[in-house]
Amino acid sequence: MNNVQPSPFVIAEAGKCIGCKACELACFAVHNDHNGVVAAVGTVTVPVIPRLHVIRTESFTLPVQCRQCENAPCAEACPVQAIRREEGTIVIHEESCIGCKGCAMACPFGAISLYKAYSNGKVVPQIQLKERQHSAMVRSAKVIAYKCDLCRTRDHKDGAMGNVPACVEVCPVEALSLVHPDTSVSRSRTAAAMRL
Amino acid sequence: MSYKDPIIHIDEQLCTGCRRCAAVCPVDAIIGEPGHPQTIDAHRCVVCGQCVQICTAYAADNESTTALRAVKLQERGQLPNVREPLFAAYSSGDIQKVKAVLADPKRFKVVQCAPAIRVSLAEEFGLPFGTLTPGKMAAALRRLKFDRIYDTNFAADVTIMEEGSELIGRVMSGERLPMFTSCCPAWVKHAETVAPELLEHLSSCKSPMQMAGALFKTYGAELDGIAPSDIFSVAVMPCTCKKFECSREEMSVNGCREVDVVITTRELASLIKDQGIDFIHLPDEPFDSPLGKYSGAGSIFGVTGGVMEAAIRTGYELITHEQIPNLQLDFVRGEEGIRTAEVQIGELELKVAVVAGLKYVDAVLAKVAEGTCPYHFIEVMACPEGCVSGGGQPKLLLETQRKIAYQARKSAVYRHDSHQKVRKSHENPDIIKLYKDFLGEPLGHTSHHLLHTKFVDRSLKEEMS
Ligand code: SF4
Ligand code: SF4
Ligand code: SF4
Ligand code: SF4
Repeated sequence: MNNVQPSPFVIAEAGKCIGCKACELACFAVHNDHNGVVAAVGTVTVPVIPRLHVIRTESFTLPVQCRQCENAPCAEACPVQAIRREEGTIVIHEESCIGCKGCAMACPFGAISLYKAYSNGKVVPQIQLKERQHSAMVRSAKVIAYKCDLCRTRDHKDGAMGNVPACVEVCPVEALSLVHPDTSVSRSRTAAAMRL
Repeated sequence: MSYKDPIIHIDEQLCTGCRRCAAVCPVDAIIGEPGHPQTIDAHRCVVCGQCVQICTAYAADNESTTALRAVKLQERGQLPNVREPLFAAYSSGDIQKVKAVLADPKRFKVVQCAPAIRVSLAEEFGLPFGTLTPGKMAAALRRLKFDRIYDTNFAADVTIMEEGSELIGRVMSGERLPMFTSCCPAWVKHAETVAPELLEHLSSCKSPMQMAGALFKTYGAELDGIAPSDIFSVAVMPCTCKKFECSREEMSVNGCREVDVVITTRELASLIKDQGIDFIHLPDEPFDSPLGKYSGAGSIFGVTGGVMEAAIRTGYELITHEQIPNLQLDFVRGEEGIRTAEVQIGELELKVAVVAGLKYVDAVLAKVAEGTCPYHFIEVMACPEGCVSGGGQPKLLLETQRKIAYQARKSAVYRHDSHQKVRKSHENPDIIKLYKDFLGEPLGHTSHHLLHTKFVDRSLKEEMS
């Protein structure tokens, strides 16, 4: 047997999405315990950095996020091996990330974004790198790559729907779903066969 | 300060046109095409702020929008150092005004807090849902330099005295029944807009917030020897519509506004943060006497069914002159949109109904108009679970937590009641004293002047012709 177990991923249906950005907000909410973000909006002291992005065109809105590619081009591009597969999910190790943008360039979906790193509600500074600000040299902010990790580290016990990613859980129109390719593939094969 | 600000706004630069707000708006006030920025019909809008609670479209924050953020905060009446995201649907803030007056040592600053603040304020500081903090809240308000820390709960007890007596009078005479509660300003505005011909069915009582304001600038001013015009009266409310209510023309006493400024739970939290007060580690401090002492009945006004329960606890004893056998009236506690019950009070079988969520009220109004509504007393609250779910309460990041948040806030309200020594309004010693020393009797001359009001026809007549 040479079959792989393909990774699950979250995908959206453009026809359903109403562009409310609830998924972005939920994604941010569940990834920021270390910044003191709890249930209320008032606990937010850092910019909202989501790991999926709702794009808007003339005719539709739709969130774009990581497909958890089997041969992840982002991981291939990362010069410091900060991107690894863990339990079927492609994960960026933020502490190793050097912000080189290689992954963001390599991702065919534009699923990776670069933002400042935050910890305890504050910008994480560079160790050495400085920049000139108002004629003084200050340590630059550390910038890292962010992308969907399928809510890997989230404590799911609060969720109403069980073990699903936050974005899937909150979408008011069920535009998002967690796809398990193995089962979906056999389901679509069966469906196709039935139509013959 | 009767301002014409519609209070609830949608920022067209941020609105994505998802129309989730339209789905929660109980009065269909949100207008627009899907995918395009929405607008609010200010005539219909009851300022409940449910749209503000549900909207998730926020301003993406990056370097190029930092200046824009400062402009928006200013426009929205928020403090400049607020860090939370800005959403498309928002309510006008009044916190800048309050901050300015607090810094003025010449003003005598009085504050009142609605029952539903003490069960939710802590969420803004990261504490779990349902954390009860009346003591820390009083301490924080004292640190903010308010001269008197009073409480809307006290006035809720006054409301029960007035409204309870009014109900008994109406039931005895059979006049203007059913009687509706009038504490929820969004409900009152809705009734004035869609059913002006039924306004005589509303209790003539002002809301507890306005009663408190009126008492601060009369009884309270006398006790402190302060001129009413020197008092600056602030109310902290879970409700955006309270901003509308305090600016109603008739809400004044001897030429002074009863409540000068209303801020929401969220605004109070932002002021506490702005002043660098470590809320979580504050000690528990008491409210000031006498206008800050309340019964358990006063504190349950914050949940749906609470006004009804408080009124029955007192009404039962006023009518029968006997102790009410059970203080916890489970038949009015619940979350269905309409709950009804029959309560045996002596000879009288009182038929009551509790309406939670304004979308359920139109059917009831239709029955009243037809003359077929069987109830004596109907409590109406515009928000889905009462004030614990009000538009000025802490906003949740995750819609999926809404249910547990409301449940926890609600049980905190009931917990607070069950821990009070005095649980009936008419047994609150400071209420007894207020009537003895100042008001005389419920529905008496002074009460009538200070605590009762008239309603306004807000229907658009020209629409009809
Ligand atoms: S939550 Fe659902 S509807 Fe809203 S933007 Fe995301 S995918 Fe679209
Ligand atoms: S699965 Fe989790 S991490 Fe990925 S986009 Fe959704 S919320 Fe964000
Ligand atoms: S105001 Fe908010 S909830 Fe309403 S349509 Fe706009 S983005 Fe959606
Ligand atoms: S404040 Fe209430 S009534 Fe007004 S638009 Fe929002 S949801 Fe509708």
